[in-house]
Amino acid sequence: MNLDKVVSGFFIILAMTLNFGFFYGDLDSLEAHSKYELFAAIVVNLIATTLKLGDRTQMGSVLLATSLVADIQLIAAAIVWAIAHYVYVIDKEIVVIIISLSGGALLANITSVALYVGETLKSKR
Amino acid sequence: MHNNSLWIILQKLRIPFIVIIIGYTIAIIGLININGIDDNGNAYKMTIFDAFYFISYTATTIGFGETPYAFSYSQRLWVVFSIYLTVIGWLYGIGSLIALLQNKTFLNEMARVKFRRQISHMRKKFIVVLGFNYVTKEIIKKLLANDIYVVVIEKKEEKANALILENYTPTVPVLVLDAHKAKALEQAGIHKLNCKAVVSLFEDDTLNLRIAMVSRLLNKNIQLAVKATTQNSVNNLKDINTNIVANPFLIIANELKMAIQSPNLLKLEKWIYQIDRLDTHFERFPVGKYIICGFGRLGKSISNELKNENIEIVFIEKEKKNIKDVVLNERHSFIIDDADNKEVLLKAGIQTATAIVAFTNNDTVNLSILATAKKLNEKIITIAREDEMEDFSIFSNAKIDYLFMPSKILINIISNALINPLSDTFAQAIAQKDEAWAALLVKNLLQKINANPLLFELSIQSFQANQICDYLETSNEIALSFFEISLRNRNLKNNVIVLLLKREGEITLLPSLDTPLKVDDKILFACDENAKNDIEYMTQNPYEFQYALTGEEKKLFNKGIFK
Repeated sequence: MNLDKVVSGFFIILAMTLNFGFFYGDLDSLEAHSKYELFAAIVVNLIATTLKLGDRTQMGSVLLATSLVADIQLIAAAIVWAIAHYVYVIDKEIVVIIISLSGGALLANITSVALYVGETLKSKR
Repeated sequence: MHNNSLWIILQKLRIPFIVIIIGYTIAIIGLININGIDDNGNAYKMTIFDAFYFISYTATTIGFGETPYAFSYSQRLWVVFSIYLTVIGWLYGIGSLIALLQNKTFLNEMARVKFRRQISHMRKKFIVVLGFNYVTKEIIKKLLANDIYVVVIEKKEEKANALILENYTPTVPVLVLDAHKAKALEQAGIHKLNCKAVVSLFEDDTLNLRIAMVSRLLNKNIQLAVKATTQNSVNNLKDINTNIVANPFLIIANELKMAIQSPNLLKLEKWIYQIDRLDTHFERFPVGKYIICGFGRLGKSISNELKNENIEIVFIEKEKKNIKDVVLNERHSFIIDDADNKEVLLKAGIQTATAIVAFTNNDTVNLSILATAKKLNEKIITIAREDEMEDFSIFSNAKIDYLFMPSKILINIISNALINPLSDTFAQAIAQKDEAWAALLVKNLLQKINANPLLFELSIQSFQANQICDYLETSNEIALSFFEISLRNRNLKNNVIVLLLKREGEITLLPSLDTPLKVDDKILFACDENAKNDIEYMTQNPYEFQYALTGEEKKLFNKGIFK
């Protein structure tokens, strides 16, 4: 067992699950979408990204790319939410933007987990 | 991935990043959960954005104060904790970054990335020079002066730094790596089309051979200029098609031979390699008895070169093992003893000798031998060699009759062969000629031109002589004498001597002036500055060409218009 693998696997999968937790629910109301869950998803995603930094293999680069995509989408969702909350009103359009952005991030996270699992299966150790 | 340095940074910054992220998260979670009191005395909780905003400017030690409302004591307690957490996180992150920038591996990597970028941006032709020392330094200077770019591979960092301090223009990229690795040569761009040559002048023959071989395998079209000190390695190098093989010991032996046989040839050679002027006074070494101290690689070369001369040679060598497998010539003899000894020199017959040559590998011993010899026989000619080129030379102050400078010749041979291939060909070709031929040529050069004529190479090709090419292509004829014409007055002649004509691989020394020109001819002139200017003008400028050819000014417009 490799502690490094445990830690990075934990964060990569946690990033996806938190992302899913936030995304799951009605698409046009924020009632089922907790801002704390979004916050947690962003933090865990950022940590997962840092853990992938500096891996020079082909797989490492692709994993890093997917993570960066998820980060950007989630942070964009948070920024939209914050701007709407303080300087604008949260109407239906904004809600849809926030949720669909996190949905995009979810896709990136799923890809990332799929690649990660695939690589683990390939490894003989 | 080619860019290693970025990956090194990212890898080293993993932990600092995670520390910062976790620190922020803990601080933010605390802030949004602790009750505060707003202006109206109502309880409130910070939003995530408020908390992030506050932590952002606190962690970076900017400190805008307490927002959105003055904090309650429970909030302040948490903020104290968060400040230590996040500020330390930041300092740790920045500290790691700075430590990384001073990291040796990282710096080397950065230097290598820079070198690789310089090589990949190199568009003009360049030459890879291995090792940076006083010989290669002079070669680099000459190459740069002739608009050829140079790349250097040097093993030692301090020497590489010395090169950087030279401040060459254009910049000479330097790679700090052992040159015997194929990787080093590859990084220096040896496989590139515009890499024209590799210069390897190390002391170690096997290293030179290895480099020559690797270079030949990496790029079969490249020119190789390599130093070799034994006949065996010269042959090996010739086997892998090394273009320029320079053997400093053979150079000295040849020079000695020429000094005895045909001093005018030596004069010509020294002029071609720009060591002396043609009018330097130089007396032929008399035939007689020569005492040569030291029988290493140099002694062997001399014994080999001079075996057909009518000269009696006595070699004095300290080490017995050095002369084990030597086949003796009947005019050559050996004394196994220390040459730096009056008795030994007397035994060698110093009083009847014409010259003493001190070629041991120790400068002090050499000087001491010559001083002793001069005391024993006042008329004796003293000959020494000087390897190091320094501004202050003990040899030049020691009043030695003749001083060989193999490194100076090495520099000139290599750079001439790379920059002016024709003059190098000329120098090699005249070695076959005799003293009378050389004496006549020296006299002609001195009379017609001056004591230090310029060597000028011209190829009849469109980039250098477009006018002549165009004219020849319309099936007209021009003779070599065309280049003698003075542009001031075409009935007068410039001071030009055509030394060599190279046509389809064949070399003609001193070709006759009515030889008709052909496209792709290569011509070597000896001339003065004015003649060189004229030749350049009439080969490229249509007006000057027209005047030299017909004596008439070429008219820009049709004559009819202005009549």
